[in-house]
Order: sequence, then structure tokens, then C-alpha cells
Amino acid sequence: MKINKDKLADFIAAISEQTVYAPQKRGEALVFAPVAKGSNVNLAAANTTIPPKSVVFPQTETLLRFELGKTDLEAPVQEGKAVMLGVRPCDARAMVIVDNVFSWDVDDPYYLQKRADLTLVGLACLEPCVNCFCSSVGGGPASKEGLDVLMTDLGDGYLLEVLTEKGQTLCQSAEGLLEESVKEDKDAAEKLHAAAVNKITRQAPDTGPIPAGLPRLWEDPLWAEVSESCLGCGICTYLCPTCHCFDIQDESEGCDSRRCRTWDSCMFPEYTLHASGHNPRPTRRERTRNRINHKYSYFVDKFNVIACVGCGRCINLCPVNIDILNILSKVGEAL
Amino acid sequence: MINLEKIRDIAKNTVSRDDIKYLIGWRQGTYGFRVSPHFVRKPEEAEELIFSPLCSNNLATYLTLAEKRPVPRGQQPDTRKVAVMVKGCDSRAVVQQLVEQGIERESVYIIGCPCEGVVDQSKLEEKYPGTFGQVEARWENGKISLCFPEGKTEVVGEELLTQKCLTCRYPNPVLADINLREEVAARGNESFADVAELEKKSTKDKWSFWQDKFSSCIRCYSCRNVCPMCYCQECILDKLNPTWVNRSVNISENTAYHLARAFHLAGRCIECGECERVCPVNIPITKLNRKLTKEVTEKFGFEPGVDVEAKPPLVGYRPDDKENFIL
Amino acid sequence: MNTNPYKPYIATVEDTWFETLGDRCIKTFKVVLDDEELRYNWSHLPGQCAIIGVLGIGESMISISCSPTEGKFLRFSVMRTGKVTKALHELEKGDKMTVRGPYGNNFPVDEWKGKNIITIGGGIGQAPLRPIIEYVKANRDDYGSLNIIYGARTSADLCFKREFEDMGSSGDVSCNLSIDIKEEEWPHYVGFVPSLLMDVNPSPENAIAITCGPPVMINFVLQNLKKLNFADKQIYTTLENRMKCGFGKCGRCNAGNLYVCKDGPVFCYETLKSVPEAFA
Repeated sequence: MKINKDKLADFIAAISEQTVYAPQKRGEALVFAPVAKGSNVNLAAANTTIPPKSVVFPQTETLLRFELGKTDLEAPVQEGKAVMLGVRPCDARAMVIVDNVFSWDVDDPYYLQKRADLTLVGLACLEPCVNCFCSSVGGGPASKEGLDVLMTDLGDGYLLEVLTEKGQTLCQSAEGLLEESVKEDKDAAEKLHAAAVNKITRQAPDTGPIPAGLPRLWEDPLWAEVSESCLGCGICTYLCPTCHCFDIQDESEGCDSRRCRTWDSCMFPEYTLHASGHNPRPTRRERTRNRINHKYSYFVDKFNVIACVGCGRCINLCPVNIDILNILSKVGEAL
Repeated sequence: MINLEKIRDIAKNTVSRDDIKYLIGWRQGTYGFRVSPHFVRKPEEAEELIFSPLCSNNLATYLTLAEKRPVPRGQQPDTRKVAVMVKGCDSRAVVQQLVEQGIERESVYIIGCPCEGVVDQSKLEEKYPGTFGQVEARWENGKISLCFPEGKTEVVGEELLTQKCLTCRYPNPVLADINLREEVAARGNESFADVAELEKKSTKDKWSFWQDKFSSCIRCYSCRNVCPMCYCQECILDKLNPTWVNRSVNISENTAYHLARAFHLAGRCIECGECERVCPVNIPITKLNRKLTKEVTEKFGFEPGVDVEAKPPLVGYRPDDKENFIL
Repeated sequence: MNTNPYKPYIATVEDTWFETLGDRCIKTFKVVLDDEELRYNWSHLPGQCAIIGVLGIGESMISISCSPTEGKFLRFSVMRTGKVTKALHELEKGDKMTVRGPYGNNFPVDEWKGKNIITIGGGIGQAPLRPIIEYVKANRDDYGSLNIIYGARTSADLCFKREFEDMGSSGDVSCNLSIDIKEEEWPHYVGFVPSLLMDVNPSPENAIAITCGPPVMINFVLQNLKKLNFADKQIYTTLENRMKCGFGKCGRCNAGNLYVCKDGPVFCYETLKSVPEAFA
């Protein structure tokens, strides 16, 4: 199926019974936010600053509500069908990766409910960014993993490839706006996808030996080297689409109280701080070593997939240019 | 003119000294216009050092960022100095850290780098999107010359410098053990014009402006961590016992975080602009700090980070303190 | 049962008393789940933990220091160290506590049947070992000898003092206590727990040794157990780390590739010896 670009606003209106999330400016940053009348949806930009994980795993989420002194607990699990428009394939893959964690053994109702309610309409990347390396970690600019529909920009319109039942249902609700696509459209899209893969300039080293080999490098001097300039901020973790760590805190205003979870970062010293004052990861060296080991080794042990989709955000936004591809290449060399 | 060979020689000699632990400088980044901090311990590592209009990082922050590990039994603490390359603004951070006794004079060897202004990377990336290969830059005759890897050279002017550089009054380090080159002329004069612009707005408009910005804050704490003046062992804005600012990220807590940090920096902020550079959602943080800088300048006639003997006004008491704003 | 793993059960403090006093005092809580069905359906094994807390303050992962054989209640021994444990310490009889769990794996008490059990604890480390002792006592015929080795800095710092006095040493239950510094009227061993271990000199034959306590003590106990010829797979310990969710989602409690809340807290030394972060 196909849709003309000038019909896009109508398309969004047609599916607006559900909440529609699309890339928009919030302050100076591009994020996935609910589309309202007069919203300025930006599908041309490379990728949002804040990854779409913020929709299913909000930075701050109330887990429980209660009144101080009482024991009645409300557990507000947010429900409501939603559509995310313009998700890049890397971010969609990331959601599938994170799904592993939130359904591991015990189901997390807050996350899983939102995931079940969500339809993902992806947008193929035709102009990968300088630091994108999705193709070397199992993804690609037109990867279909995790998506319900894949859009490809053909110039005057988008080709829509329906991938799942959810995607089918969504397209049916906007039937009148869609046209049948022809073979030329599909061929054109394929050509664009192939060209995009060739435009990717950066590669991770062969990730094959890395998961099993990383534990051998536990005492390697490379960790002290690469972490020496680290500021210990949360940029790489907060903006990473596969990072999912969180803190749980109780907050009160008067008698109204809640237990909420907020994004947390393994790069913060407090992350592993014991109440006794002991910290098993006392410096940035141990924390950096843990982060890389977690993404490229421990996660693979548990869920058989590297917890990195090559979106490049950590490279783009690290204030001191700590470059994960640089780290991986050092790891590759040391192994 | 920057003589890279001379700079690298100075660095090699510094690092070979017995009393120097390591040297902190800049080196070319991993792509495009990036530059990354470089920690030099061996003379050969100094070959990678650069000093160019791309060197925005304020390396003074590493003087207080490096973790102090307990000394193993039987060993003596390592009291060697850390050598740090600083531009004019960066050197003010070192001076202010010395004034506050956050570091000791004998612990640091200051390598002064008179600076003609650094470029705003986001403006560069907007002008030359998708630059992948590493770019070199040079100050040349009042302009900046960019050498792209394909051999192309582009010359750009002031319009690509960071805002702070356009009104810079301290291009030459205010304190240094050695200087890499001759002094350069100051570019600007302080008029706080940018602050006045916001001051003119109504309270409603001001709040609307800041609400828009603070709403996008993700509390990554990069602004705080990069700041050379934020070096408390435990930041009060992080503290849980008691909790002053909640961990939840919303307009209320974000506002509290930014305003509290700005106040904690009043009279201490040396205006290196790093906070704004590192912010992933582009919050104009320096606008807050500069408002308070203006207040401190006007009320106390004090400028942080220029005189190593100075007594900071908010820490000391003088009988002639102008207190017309509280009495 | 809870389908929302973050929603805690409410429990009432049936009884509470101090085990030790001072700055980092230890208080024991005997709590009963309010919901009757939950109370009777609750099932745990020695080694498992629960996340207990005070609404409005927070939660902490504390080992369940009673054996399921003792009755339909839960016991927790909490050292006052931080914000949450301070709030827990303020709870008295009749007060409410939140409980989530049981979490983590358990000591493989079934596999240990027929073996001689040796517990080696230090300070508050005795809390996760106590359920093993009670379980073995309740199923006495299923196990060989029971050897308790326990020490603390001073006699005032020993936990479960009353129970040790009652237990004494009889038949094949051997109770060996120690304190670090000499005290008047202390009739037992004076010295660190690792040296008490050498003094007791338990045989590794058909034995399982479980140790719990401050990291420094565990390191020396492990060394000494090897000197006594214990094999790696005969040695068990528990790890602890900062925890929030308790069931493997918040990401923070891992030691290497092991999540202490799910792959642990009980670990065999054979597993841990190749995980450097376990001893950080």
C-alpha cells in the first residue's frame, strides 16, 4: 500500500482514536510526543534525541499510589491503544530486545500493557547518520524486526509494508487514504534500502567473539584508558534505546504519596552503593567495564542478543567523545 | 600561530618530569569535528596532542573528577602533580578551585593555552552535515580554517564561534606555570546584553520560556558533572537522606534542580559554557548562570577565577559589604 | 497471588526486639501477612529473601531469617544503616510493614540431605544462616551433624543470643561462638571467625560449609576452608548488593553476569570463583 505525502495529516487524523506518537520538538530536542492539533510532526529528521522507549518505559512512572499512614494501594497500570509513527528500525529492534527483560520470569504489567497496546509504524532510514552502525549488530536501515508497518519514503509518497495483524488493522482504519502500491514502488523501495546499507560508514568489529571473550579482559588496562575522560553523567544510558535500568523511590506531597520508578544509570556511582558505604564499582573504570560487559556479554548470556542496536546516540551525544565503536575495536584487538 | 611541534615538545618534557603524574590535553576525536580529552603518561603519547579552535572541553574539571582511591597499606600517597592544558576560561576554573581550596597549588602544573576562540560544534554540524572523516582546524588571521579529510579547506569566521567567545575578556590564562604561545587580544567587553534581553520580559513570558526548556530536561546531570566548579562529593540535589529534590523528572523537580544549581554557582561560575555545550537537549543553561553573575558583579564588584588571592564574597564577610538589597 | 510484582503485601509486626544495640543496631521483626490466604499460601525455603519496607519511605531486600518449618510468620533481622532501615527500626508491635517476595534462589537443602552441615557466620551474616539451622533441626533425621560457627566483634554484637544459649551444645549439634576482643566473663573462643574455624577444624568428609558475613571475613574463611580441604562445590555463600526491584528488571544488582536477586543470593563457590565482581 501507498500513501501520498499530502495525505499524511489526514492519515494521522484517521487513526487518532488511538494516541498517536510522532517525532516533535519539545524544547530544543526531538522526542516522540503525542500528536495534537497543530502539532509539527518531523519525519525528515534523522532520529529523535530521546529514544521511543520513553513511550513504553516513561522516564518517570507511578507504580503505586497511597496515602501516608494508610495501607490501601492503587496500582495505576496505564492502558490505551497507541500508535508510534516514524520509529526507526534500530529503535524498534531495541524494543524487542528490552521486551526480554520486562517479561523475564515475572511480567512487568506497566511496560507490557503499553507494549501490547502499541502499534509501531516504522520509517526506513534512507540517509543513515555518520555514527549509525546498525548493520554490524544484527540490524539494518530497513529492518522489519519489531515493526507492524514499515514506511519507505519514495519521494512523493510513502510505501507502506504491512508486517503484522496489528499493522493490518491500523491500515484498515485509514483505508480511504491509501492506494494500492505497484511493483515499481516496491522495487524503488528495495533499491533505496540497499543504497542505505551502503551509506553506512562505521562498522563495529566482528561481534562474534566478543560476548564470550569479554570476561577474559576483566583486568585489561583498556577499561581505565577509555573511562578516564568519562564525566559519569547519564547521557549514554538515558539516550540508549536498549538501556532499561531504573530506580524506585517513594515521594510524598503532604499526605499524598506514591512509589515511582525513574530512569537510572549504571554510570552513576550511587547505582551500586551499599548502605554500609561499600561500593563494588567505586570508580568510572569499573562502571564503564560493567556497562560494556552488560551490553555485549551478560545480556547475550541471558537473552542471546547483544543489547546494542547501533543507533549511534551515545557516540553523537557523549560530551567527551567516548566512542563505543572505539571501545569495541580495542576489545576486538585485545581478544 | 600554533606550533604543534612546540606544544608536543613542551608536553613531552612535562610528562618526563619526575614530579608530574600525567598531563591532560586534547586530541582529535573519533569522527568529524570532535575532540576528546587525552591523558598523557608517556612522552610518545604526547604526539597526539592538539590545540585548535575545536578544543572546547574545559579540562580543569578533571582536576576534581579523578577519584581518590585509598592508599594500599605500606604505600605512600602519590603526591605528584597533574599537568593540565587550559585556555583562558578554563584557567579561571583552576584559579577558582584554588581559591576555594578544592585543589592545592602544588598538585597542579598549569599549561596556559592563549585561545582565539572555539567553535560551536552544533553550528559546524549544521553547516557541514554528515561530516564523517576527522577534520582539523586552525586559527588563521582572525578566521578559522577547517581542513577536511578529502583535502578540501574551508574558512569560516566569527559567526561559527561559541557565544561566550564573542564577549571573551580572558583569552589568556590568568594563571599558568608555562604558556604555549604569545598572548592574544581580548575579543569582547562585558555588557550582559544577553541577560538584559531576558530581564526585559514579563514574569509570565520568562516562566513560559523556562518552562519550555526545563520540561525537556532529562536530568542526565551532564551539566553538573562537566562543571569544574561542581565537585561536591555528594551533590545535595542527588541526596536521598533527606531528599531535597525528588528523583522524578517533571517541570517542578527540574526547575528546582536548575535553579538550585545556578544559585550554588553564584559568584563561582567562571562562564566556560561547558554546561550548555554538553546538554543533550540544548537547554540554554548559561542564561541562568549569567544572570547571577551579573547580580554578583553589580552587588559585590567580584569576578570569580581571576585572582588567586581573592576572598569570595558569598563566603566571607567585609564590613563594607553593600547590603542595600537586604536592608 | 499478585499479578503486579511491584505491589507489596501488607504485614503486621507481631513482635519485635533488639538483637544488638548501638549505632548500627540490629532489630528482629516477626511479622504476619495480613491477608489470610496469602499467609497460608506463602512458601519459601532457607536462603530466600523478601523486600520489606515502609510506605512513603522505601524498601530494602532483607533475607528471611526463619525457616518455613517454624510457622506461618516471617522473621527479618535488620541492621539500621540507611534511610529505609531507619524507618523500619521505628516500627513497633502492631505497626504495618510492606512485604514482597519471596525472591531469589534457596540453599539446596534437598541436595544436602544426609550431609554434615557447617554454618560459618559473622555479625549480621548469621541472619541468612539461621533458617538453615532451624530447617535442619526440624528435619533432624535427614541430615548429619550440625556445626554452628559464629562470631562478632563483641558479645553485645552477637545476634540470636537467647537462641544460642538455649541450644548449647548437645550430641551432634555443635555450637561454637567467638568474639574478636577479649571480655571479662566471656567463656568461649576469643579471635576472628576464620581462626575459630581452624580451631573447630571440621572435617570436609560428606560436609557442606555455608558462610555469610562481612566480605573481609568471607575471604579468609574461604582461604581456610580450602586449607581444610573443602572442595569448591562443598562451599556455599550468599551475596548482597544494592537492590530495587528484586526480580531482575532494574538491572543494578548484578555481580558479573549473575543477578544477585535471581541467580542468587545463594551461590556455590564453584560458580563464584570465576566471577571477579562477586568479590568486589
